[in-house]
Amino acid sequence: MGHKRLNPARSVSHPPFHLWGCGESDSPESEATRIPLSPTQVRSATPASVWTPAEQKPSLGAAQGSLNSQREPAQQRPLRLEAPSRSAPSKGSTSCQRGRSGRARLHGDRSERRARGPSLDLSSGTRGKESLVRVNGTQSLLRGPCLTMLSRVVCSAAAAAAPRLKNAALLGPGVLQATRIFHTGQPSLAPLPPLPEHGGKVRLGLIPEEFFQFLYPKTGVTGPYVLGTGLILYFLSKEIYVITAETFSAISVIGLLVYVVKKYGASIGEFADKLNEQKIAQLEEVKQASIKQIQDAIDTEKSQQALVQKRHYLFDVQRNNIAMALELTYRERLHRVHREVKNRLDYHISVQNMMRRKEQDHMINWVEKHVVQSISAQQEKETIAKCIADLKLLAKKAQAQPVL
Amino acid sequence: MNENLFASFTTPMMMGVPIVVLIIIFPSILFPSPNRLINNRLATVQQWLIQLVSKHMLSIHNYKGQTWALMLMSLILFIGSTNLLGLLPHSFTPTTQLSMNLGMAIPLWAGTVVMGFRHKTKASLAHFLPQGTPLPLIPMLVIIETISLFIQPVALAVRLTANITAGHLLIHLIGGATLVLMNINPVTALITFIILILLTILELAVALIQAYVFTLLVSLYLHDNT
Repeated sequence: MGHKRLNPARSVSHPPFHLWGCGESDSPESEATRIPLSPTQVRSATPASVWTPAEQKPSLGAAQGSLNSQREPAQQRPLRLEAPSRSAPSKGSTSCQRGRSGRARLHGDRSERRARGPSLDLSSGTRGKESLVRVNGTQSLLRGPCLTMLSRVVCSAAAAAAPRLKNAALLGPGVLQATRIFHTGQPSLAPLPPLPEHGGKVRLGLIPEEFFQFLYPKTGVTGPYVLGTGLILYFLSKEIYVITAETFSAISVIGLLVYVVKKYGASIGEFADKLNEQKIAQLEEVKQASIKQIQDAIDTEKSQQALVQKRHYLFDVQRNNIAMALELTYRERLHRVHREVKNRLDYHISVQNMMRRKEQDHMINWVEKHVVQSISAQQEKETIAKCIADLKLLAKKAQAQPVL
Repeated sequence: MNENLFASFTTPMMMGVPIVVLIIIFPSILFPSPNRLINNRLATVQQWLIQLVSKHMLSIHNYKGQTWALMLMSLILFIGSTNLLGLLPHSFTPTTQLSMNLGMAIPLWAGTVVMGFRHKTKASLAHFLPQGTPLPLIPMLVIIETISLFIQPVALAVRLTANITAGHLLIHLIGGATLVLMNINPVTALITFIILILLTILELAVALIQAYVFTLLVSLYLHDNT
């Protein structure tokens, strides 16, 4: 019972009810604003109100500020076992001490309690159904959940039993009325039985056919008509129905009414049917459109699925393309390499050729030069004289041999 | 003529028990509430009629005025059905009683006026002075407008009462004339009977028109004041 809501920012698990206050700092003003509870005040709090946090506020005074809203439940705990002494506030202490003025303290001062560590107090009070659970100590943050679990079992039994007993004692016969539940029947609107196609058959627009059938066995076909005529004549003759001005207005009104109904009745009926049919057609259209939409979606989905089946073709084509591109690139590069290498080699070859040619030319020139140099003047004269002598000889030969 | 002309306008009693309340409530059972999508012909036709009338009648109002839709529609339905039922022989028409019409007219009119004064005080007070009146006429005109304002509910009620009562009386009288003439000169009686038929047609129209006029005027007062 002595639980306080943990500061949510600090608690690991959210116990649904209060732990014995860890995580809130004591401040002197909060101390001051706490109202000392008298034992009668404490005892007057019912077990049910002590149990639920929301209902504890009314039993405290209005001086409680919102600062204290989390501490109120703790204060309400009927801690008659504690001595009504106030301990000095510890500012910012993480101790879970919340015993305050007006309450008896079971254990000693805070330091003692801290030393003792967490403890679980289960005691049944004078009211017989209360149990008091307090978790003290700084370690309660960790032990909190398990202890609250245990306490929950204890307290739930108490809370469940106590209100019923208390209320039952107070209300007595009123409880029966309070627990009666209304509107348990099925709503009469759904499903409605279908409307009949045609109304009941009537004769003369007023008298149901069943009346004629009813009289048929005894009086035959003309029975009801004779009855009607007889009744009318009886009323008239005995002046039970008096012919007054009203009669003529009745004749005119009823005559007019019959005429209008006979003339326009069917068309108005058709009009009404048309209205209904329009309504149905609208809804039917909506339904058909919805069906068509869904069907289209199904077809689209199916075609998508079929496409997905054939997707591998696409991948193959892509794969082939990529392979071809790779091959192309490879060959292109190979060709380029080949060309470059050939260029290098051609260069060397042409260099060689050029060198050889140059050497050749040089050698020829050198040889020629030296040969020319070596030809002395005398040799030259002799050579030329010899050539002239040879030519003369040849000329003589040519003259000697005429054209053959 | 055993009964005097006023017989049809007395509070209807049945063996000493006033059943006027039952008579006033009776027309409501002629309007079945449509509780399905597709109803019978009566409900369908009524539904269509009410939609038509409400669309036309409420088109001139703003949002505030349209909150009166239920009131106006039930008003026109009640007055119309009561007037029409009153044309049947030996029936009692509640709308012939000034008490009832005043009871309808005064609260509705007062409602519109109070609403106007609450929400648009300046405009409501401005209604007392038409635009463009010359200065010396203003005091007199304010008095006249005030009188005309206060006459509105009385006019509403008396208009309805007088029309319906006059119609009923006429039918009664001409019917009586026909009855008497039957013995004297049947041909004249026939002519009178034809007149009666025409009058009945007129009365049918009047019944509906009066309902419409009543509701329309209330709606107009509402429009001025929302």
